[in-house]
Amino acid sequence: MTGAIPSVALVGNPNAGKSSLFNALTGARQKIANYPGVTVERKAGHASFADGRPISLIDLPGTYSLTPASLDEAVTRDVVLGRQAGERKPDALIVVVDAANLDNHLCFALELLALGLPIVVALNMLDLAERDGLTLDPARLSRELGVPVVPTVAVRKRGLTELLVALDVAIESHQPREAGAAPLGDAPLHQRARAIAQAATVDETPVRRWTQRVDQVVLHPVAGLVLLVALMFVMFQAVFSWATPFADGLEAGVGVVQNWVVETVPANFLRDLVVEGLLAGVGAVVVFLPQILILFLFILLLEASGYMARAAFLMDGLMGKVGLSGRGFIPLLSSFACAVPGIMATRAIPDEKDRLTTILIAPLMTCSARMPVYTLIIGAFIPAEKVGGTPIGLQGLVLFGLFLSGIVGALLVALVLRRSVTKGNATGFMMEMPRYQWPRANDIVIALWQRAWIFLRRAGTIIAATTVILWLLLSFPKVPENSRLSQVEYSVGGRIASGLEVIVAPIGFNHDIAVALIPAMAAREVAVSAMATANAIDAGDDEEKMSEQLGTALQGKWSLATALAFLAWFVFAPQCISTIAITKRETNGWKWPMFMVGYLFLLAYAAAGITYWTAVAFGLG
Amino acid sequence: MTGLLDKSALGVAVRIKRIDWTAMSEDEGRRLREFGLMEGCEVTPRHRGSIFSRDPLALSVGRMQVIIRAKQAAVIEVEPIAA
Repeated sequence: MTGAIPSVALVGNPNAGKSSLFNALTGARQKIANYPGVTVERKAGHASFADGRPISLIDLPGTYSLTPASLDEAVTRDVVLGRQAGERKPDALIVVVDAANLDNHLCFALELLALGLPIVVALNMLDLAERDGLTLDPARLSRELGVPVVPTVAVRKRGLTELLVALDVAIESHQPREAGAAPLGDAPLHQRARAIAQAATVDETPVRRWTQRVDQVVLHPVAGLVLLVALMFVMFQAVFSWATPFADGLEAGVGVVQNWVVETVPANFLRDLVVEGLLAGVGAVVVFLPQILILFLFILLLEASGYMARAAFLMDGLMGKVGLSGRGFIPLLSSFACAVPGIMATRAIPDEKDRLTTILIAPLMTCSARMPVYTLIIGAFIPAEKVGGTPIGLQGLVLFGLFLSGIVGALLVALVLRRSVTKGNATGFMMEMPRYQWPRANDIVIALWQRAWIFLRRAGTIIAATTVILWLLLSFPKVPENSRLSQVEYSVGGRIASGLEVIVAPIGFNHDIAVALIPAMAAREVAVSAMATANAIDAGDDEEKMSEQLGTALQGKWSLATALAFLAWFVFAPQCISTIAITKRETNGWKWPMFMVGYLFLLAYAAAGITYWTAVAFGLG
Repeated sequence: MTGLLDKSALGVAVRIKRIDWTAMSEDEGRRLREFGLMEGCEVTPRHRGSIFSRDPLALSVGRMQVIIRAKQAAVIEVEPIAA
């Protein structure tokens, strides 16, 4: 095994602490991509042996056996067996088992041992097992299994050196052999796993576990739900209030750069493109990075602490009533950050109809791309007051209301879909509830950094490109000196928008909105950058107008009814190319993404219309 | 005296006597076994649903906690553990 860099896969049950071990071994040296043809995330990274020889590591989705029940579990099987396209068969496996759950985790370990690859078992989370009153004998476990067993505490980086040494020896000394006898049936396999676990257990003191005490409250039929709603509420309030100073700072920064370019570069086509197009457009989106990161922070914390599975438990009753399962709660909650990872997370839903329904309603969850739109409009049109002397802000409350409309809309849509186009058997819901754990700062930081990078890359590519194209369309042809029309209205883009305005005028949309809606097909937040660009073009070299905030500019031009209708539109409108593309890939065809786009636009039009007409009736037009 | 798991009292350990594997799909059955739910094993029902419904059911199996639906628990026959 000299020459090529050995490739080693981390395999194990869900909740065995695989990802923490992977992070501890590779540090920041990791790369997330997709397996070709499927949207399962492929996490790869590098580590090195003590003498500096590199090894490449991949982290595989957690599974219970080599017989998959869902798409991501199938990837684990295919990689381990060397059947995954674009991935060579691993030279060795690190089998990660939870020291406190050997009975169960050894079943999969035994199945993997039968494959005949070099294997090292990482006896992980040994500290938590000790906290639970378990004393284990790793040497005995190693004798029983016939492979090296290394105790590890991934989150404290304990046992990593020993693990790599054992891995090196296992690879070097491995005698190639055929895969062992066909694995036992389920019952004998469990019996054997239990027997080995018992043999390796020196002492087991029954202690009343901390997790169970906490669950008495967290899973309480009433208190648990109250806690869940409270957590969600705090999360959305935090997104709105904590991010403000950072967002203001970023906004000021963009302004400084804009002014600097205006002052140092002579006026020409290129300067206008950069200042009015790129900086105004991309800048308007980048300022929302703090909010997106706060939202992701909450989701990552809920996931890492083990709370997410409890939330799924609490929500299953409600979701079961509309034909979904609690399994769908995690993808849907992720969709609050972005529908793309949310839709990808539906792979864990075993039932196909259940999964399809979850995909179709995922875009109704208020993703972070809507935040720029919501924040801009709420900031401009909803007064920053407290509600009736309480510490609850009116702006935050409106935001909460928008999130809630999306959720209620999604549940109603699911109810209808499950009785029509995605009709099927009532689905099951089976999932493991992990123990509670303190989230590890390191794991959270790595994950947050990856999300921030994905967002910034998007801002730098798709959003920058659409903004520049829009700027060109809105800047030419140049409006004649004596025209009553503004530059934006006179331009090619403005004329296209005038055509669209005919369709959207009945629901209260004006020319500004029509201009923003077309490029916002690329991504919702582009609506904001589009309005910023149009505003900047109309402002031209008028410095006073230029420095005017976009929100203030809109206040002068829009009625409250129009603003509210615009918000209602964005609760439903499927304006995101990435979501449509991922839906196509996940459903293997154009049928479902087209259906999704169609029904969402209909709902958006209806919701905006009803909002507008109601508001006008109340004299807000 | 035997009963069905979906009707069992919370917090009391019981032993699984029989599971009607024909009442569920092959995948569901395998996942139950992967959770360690099979004839002869001990389980303790811990939590049941929320105000929305009596679904789902959270169980302790060995050192694991798992969630299943009442429909699945209804085909699992259990007996008290002899003192």
